[in-house]
Amino acid sequence: MKIILATFCLWVAAAVSVWAMPLSYALDAGESRVGFEVPFGPDQITGTMPVRSADIALDFAQPSNSRISVVLDVGNAQANFPFATQALRGPRVLDAAAFPDITFVSNSIEVQRDAPSKARLGGDITIRGVTRPIVLDVELFRPAGRAPGERELLFVRLEGAVSRAAFGATGWDDLVGDEVSLDLMLRIDLEE
Amino acid sequence: MGARNTDVSFGWVTRALHWAMALGVLAMLGFGSYIARMEVGMSNIWMFGVHKSIGIVLFALLALRIVWHFVSPVLESLPSGVAWKDRAAAWVHRAFYVLLIVVPLSGWIGSGATGLDVLLFNRVTLPPLAPVSETWEEAAFAVHFVATKLLALCVVLHIAGAVMRKDGTLGRMVRGV
Ligand code: HEM
Repeated sequence: MKIILATFCLWVAAAVSVWAMPLSYALDAGESRVGFEVPFGPDQITGTMPVRSADIALDFAQPSNSRISVVLDVGNAQANFPFATQALRGPRVLDAAAFPDITFVSNSIEVQRDAPSKARLGGDITIRGVTRPIVLDVELFRPAGRAPGERELLFVRLEGAVSRAAFGATGWDDLVGDEVSLDLMLRIDLEE
Repeated sequence: MGARNTDVSFGWVTRALHWAMALGVLAMLGFGSYIARMEVGMSNIWMFGVHKSIGIVLFALLALRIVWHFVSPVLESLPSGVAWKDRAAAWVHRAFYVLLIVVPLSGWIGSGATGLDVLLFNRVTLPPLAPVSETWEEAAFAVHFVATKLLALCVVLHIAGAVMRKDGTLGRMVRGV
């Protein structure tokens, strides 16, 4: 992400907001992606996956009313070398042919007291058709230079980790580690 | 010295094939053992590609060698005077042909069964010879493992025989006569 980001105390700013309803946002898919990283011997395999769609509604007055769900495009996942890309999409890891989507659906949100732009987002993630609970760290940003309080264009960063074994995505587990860290950056625009 | 073998001499084609494959097989035995035991990472994963590519080249050289032997048959081994030694030498030669088919073929089958492309020098994608299956992969690499150990044993016997006999056998594979 080449954009300079500035954190912004959105959840707190919301306390004085006139909005009483969650605000719906549209995903800018072209500017959103998930980065992932997994240990590979002494190194890391890194890569990205496009975000197919997202359903995002943020309630700044009542954060617990917010919801974030994301669908990732497994078939276009890309790793930092060709064999890893092929292995990742193939039947022993994500099996994109049978399971083209990874989905995340939030079901709880807990704003951090000391850092109001940050929250813990609980939800369910489905990989290879297996659904497991997950907790992601979420942080909201607005592009640098935007006036405080502006909510038209935001970035949502989600971070977490999954165990490959928990989803049966165990291919090459003799060479590649189990824990995959995820780092999603979504660019969202307020819907009228 | 001609390309073809005669009744009393090895032509350069047979000798070139012999020494190219000797070098290749020796190197690949060591290299294969190394890559199978190293900690795989970004810096060395390319070595698998090199191993597979050289292995396929050796497989092709073997095919060429068999064809060439129909075109230009090889001469009879020199008798050592000891019957069991002559039989042992002949069996080691036969075993080489069998193992030099089984070893690369099992490597190719096992590699294809992983579901990853088998690439020749990062350019040509070879067709997989087996379905994507862990059973095929494990079986093929078990064969690759055992066959490479037998191949190493044959190499030791073959070199020992060639060096120990002082009747010009080694010399005519080097110089032709
Ligand atoms: C004459 C040709 C070849 C020779 C002499 C050879 C030799 C070897 C040896 C000695 C090993 C180590 C086995 C062990 O101790 O675990 C090995 C491993 C391996 N070979 Fe070959 N090989 C040949 C051809 C091939 C070909 C054609 C392929 C694939 C297209 C291949 C793929 C592999 C792979 C992937 C391993 C690693 C297996 C593992 O990590 O356990 N080899 N090879």
